[in-house]
Amino acid sequence: MQDPTILILASLADGDKHGYAIMEDIQVFAGIRLGPGTLYGAICRLEGCGWIRAVKSESRRQPYRITAEGSKHLKEQLALLGQVVRTGNRRMREA
Amino acid sequence: MRPLIRWAARLYPPRWRNRYGAEFDALLDDISPSLGDVFNIIGDVLRVRATASDASLVWAPVSQTMRLPVIISLTSHALMVTLILWAAFSVTPMPLQVSVAPIPPPAPEAPPVVTDARVFPDALTLYSSLPLTTSAQGDAIRLYVADGVGINFLPLPDIGARYRQGDIERRVWPGRALEAFIVRRVLPEYPHGTNTRGTASVFVEYRVSRGGSVKVLRTSGPMPFTSAAQSAIEQWAYRPLQYEGRPCEVVSRVEVRFDSEFAQSGMSQ
Repeated sequence: MQDPTILILASLADGDKHGYAIMEDIQVFAGIRLGPGTLYGAICRLEGCGWIRAVKSESRRQPYRITAEGSKHLKEQLALLGQVVRTGNRRMREA
Repeated sequence: MRPLIRWAARLYPPRWRNRYGAEFDALLDDISPSLGDVFNIIGDVLRVRATASDASLVWAPVSQTMRLPVIISLTSHALMVTLILWAAFSVTPMPLQVSVAPIPPPAPEAPPVVTDARVFPDALTLYSSLPLTTSAQGDAIRLYVADGVGINFLPLPDIGARYRQGDIERRVWPGRALEAFIVRRVLPEYPHGTNTRGTASVFVEYRVSRGGSVKVLRTSGPMPFTSAAQSAIEQWAYRPLQYEGRPCEVVSRVEVRFDSEFAQSGMSQ
């Protein structure tokens, strides 16, 4: 689970966050520290896909919100990941 | 390192800078940048410039004004990158000779003394032994346990914020994240002497020290529920916490909810 876009969508799934909060959240729940370039590269792609959008803010720290399409994509990816995990675990037990 | 990382951020195309520049600068103010971050940004700059769908948007502002100062600037940037790469790959680390007194082995940690039937030795036992319901508000986890006491892990708006007191830096972590590190939890006793009916909520902010012990910083709620929550939470213990490989202190907040109905019936929800 190294895909920064999925990590960011998972981080935004429980509420709006700005870049630094996303970075810290991912560090806490996944143990992965995204570099600033990786983080904003992924944010740029996610915004381009319409999976997140910027929320109006007076602060320099721009919060982002997951969109309905983003939630749908996240669910699909997590379901796929769950399938991989279940299959891998079953095959490990059988080996 | 900070001037270097700001220089690297300026290499993004103007269009990218117009959209993300201000918030990216705010991010760089928040982090403690490393050389790895500089290369991370340079790598993303190259990716952005190489994959932009409309190359004119990326290069046009430079090419249309390709005058001598711009050429000098680009050349100096290229030279700086070359120097950094050369320095990174050519410096041979000198053998480090440090004589220090041998560090005595740490004293074995005494296992937690279980004096209360409601002491859970580890988080797995806690989760496997309790009914767990997910609330309708986000994915906050509520644990209602026997005797009408429950713990609600609050979503924290200032997650990741840093607070500094002297040389000690504390970070705000959500209670859910701390669950991976908990080794001992004592659940509050419902204060049966009170006449309060219904639900009473106590909000508790606590600090987890580098060693994993807990100190309550402040509470909010009615007495005697605050005392019950505080005395229990200060018996919690965590494995030593680390952030970026360094020991750190953490601040978190939970809601402890007391329910007289469940306390009287002795049932759990």
